[in-house]
Amino acid sequence: MQVSLWGVSKTYTDGPRPTPALRPITLEIQSGEFVSLIGPSGCGKSTLLKIIADQTSPSNGEIRLDGAPPALARGQKRIAWMAQNPALLPWKTVIDNVRLPQLINRQARHNAPKPESLLSMVGLDDTAQAYPSTLSGGMQQRVALARTLATGAPLWLMDEPFAALDELTREQLTEEVLALWATFHPTVLWVTHNIIEAIRMADRVFVLSPGPGAIRATLSIHIPRPRDETSPEMVRILRELRRILREPWNDRA
Amino acid sequence: MTKNQGNARITVDQRINHLADSKDRLTIFIILGTGLAIWEIIVRLKQLPAYLLPAPTEIAQTLWVQRLYYARAAAITSLEALTGLAVGVGVGIAIATLITFWSSLEHGILALAILVKATPIVAIAPLLIIWLGFGPAPKIVITALMTFFPVLVNMHAGFHAVEPAVLELFHSLAASRWEVFTHARWPSSLPYLFAALRIVGPLSLIGAVVAEWAGASTGLGRAMWLAYTNLNIPALFAAVFCSATIGVLLSSLIAALERRVIFW
Repeated sequence: MQVSLWGVSKTYTDGPRPTPALRPITLEIQSGEFVSLIGPSGCGKSTLLKIIADQTSPSNGEIRLDGAPPALARGQKRIAWMAQNPALLPWKTVIDNVRLPQLINRQARHNAPKPESLLSMVGLDDTAQAYPSTLSGGMQQRVALARTLATGAPLWLMDEPFAALDELTREQLTEEVLALWATFHPTVLWVTHNIIEAIRMADRVFVLSPGPGAIRATLSIHIPRPRDETSPEMVRILRELRRILREPWNDRA
Repeated sequence: MTKNQGNARITVDQRINHLADSKDRLTIFIILGTGLAIWEIIVRLKQLPAYLLPAPTEIAQTLWVQRLYYARAAAITSLEALTGLAVGVGVGIAIATLITFWSSLEHGILALAILVKATPIVAIAPLLIIWLGFGPAPKIVITALMTFFPVLVNMHAGFHAVEPAVLELFHSLAASRWEVFTHARWPSSLPYLFAALRIVGPLSLIGAVVAEWAGASTGLGRAMWLAYTNLNIPALFAAVFCSATIGVLLSSLIAALERRVIFW
C-alpha cells in the first residue's frame, strides 16, 4: 500500500492551551517498503502513526493510503495495528485471539493466511489452546504478531511493538518480522527509539526532531538482509544516524 | 511453556485452592461451634427466659418439630428472592447496556436510577402490597428494586473497564460497536458482575423477607412476623436461622459460579 502525507501536523487543543505535537510532515512511502520512524521520546512519532492509522485526526494536511483517506482504508480493514501492549483478550485462547481479526472481517478468512498456520509461523503451534496469562511477554507479542498477520492487511503500522521485551527476545522477534515481511510484502511503518533496530530492518529511516517533531533527515539503506551491524557499511550508517540524532536541533518554528 | 506444563500448573493451583477451602471450612465450623456453645452456656448459667434469649438447642428443637412449616416457608422465600434477584440483575444489565450504547442517555437514566434507589423500600412496600396483593408479585418487585442498582453501577463500570490498548485494537479492525461489546466489553465486565452479585445475593433475601413482613400469607418474613407478635422468640430465631442459612448457601453458589466463569 502506498502511503502519502502532505503537510500533516497535529496540535492538541484539549489542554488549557494548544500543545503542538507534530510539525507539518510530508513524505511518501512506496508499496511494500519497510520504513522506520526514529526520534527521541515525545517527538510525536507515535502521534504520526496514530494519524495514519486513523486512531486520531490531524490538525492539518492530507493523508492518502492507496489514494484513499485513512478512515476509508480502516473501514475496508486494510490497516493492521500493533503496539507495545499486546492487547490480548485473556478469556480467549491463543488461537482464538489470532482468529479475532477474521471473526470481525469475514473477508479476511479467504484472503488472509489461516490462523493455525500463522501460529506455527511464529513458533507457537503447541500453545494454541493455552490462555495468554500463561505465556511470557515475548510469547504474548508473538501471538499479537500472528493476530496482526491474520488481518491480511497490506499496511502494518507498528508502534514500538517489542520495546518492553528483553534484548535477546527483541532481536529474535525483529528477525521474524523481517522474514514475515519478505513472505507477505506489506508496507511497514515501524516506530522505534532503538537505532540499531531501525537500521537493521528498514529500507528507509525517517529521523524525527525533538517534539514537536519534524523530519530532520531521511536515510536510505541499500544493504541486503540479513544485515550485520558490524559490517563497514552498517557502521557508517550507524555513525551517520548517531551524528544526526546528536546534532542540536535548530528550532525554526 | 508447553501445554502440558500449563496444565500441570493449573492442577497444582487447584489442589492448593482445594486445601485452602477445606481449611477455611474447618475454621468456620470451629468458630461457629464455639459461638453456639458459649451462647448455650450463658443462657443455661444465667437461666435466661426463652422470651428474651432462647438457647440454641431450644431453637433447634423448634426447627425440628416444625420442620415442614419452616422448609415450606424457606422454599417460598428463596423462590421469591431468586426471582426478584433475576429480575433485578436482568434490569441492571439491560440499563447498563443501554447507556453504554447510547451514552447521551447516561446522566438522565442514572439520575432516575438513583432516585429509585434512594426511595426507602420499607416505606413503599405496604403500598406495593395494596397494589399487587399478598402473593409473590410485590415480593419480586421489591427484591428487584433493591438489587438492580448495584448491578447497574458495577456493569456500567465494567463495560468501561476495557484496556485502552484493546479498544485501539478493535478500532484498527474497524469493529462495530456490537462486536466491541460482545468480544471486549461484556467479558471485561464479568468480574464486576460477580462483585455486584456478592452484594445483591444476600440483599435479595432481605428484600423478600422485608416484603413478606409488610404483608404476606406465607414465607419466612411472615413466620418472623407471626412469631414476633406472639412473642414466640424461639420461633423467631428459627426463621432467622433459616434465612441466614439460605444467605450462606446463595453466597457460596455465587462464589462457585464466579470461579467457573472467570477462569482467566
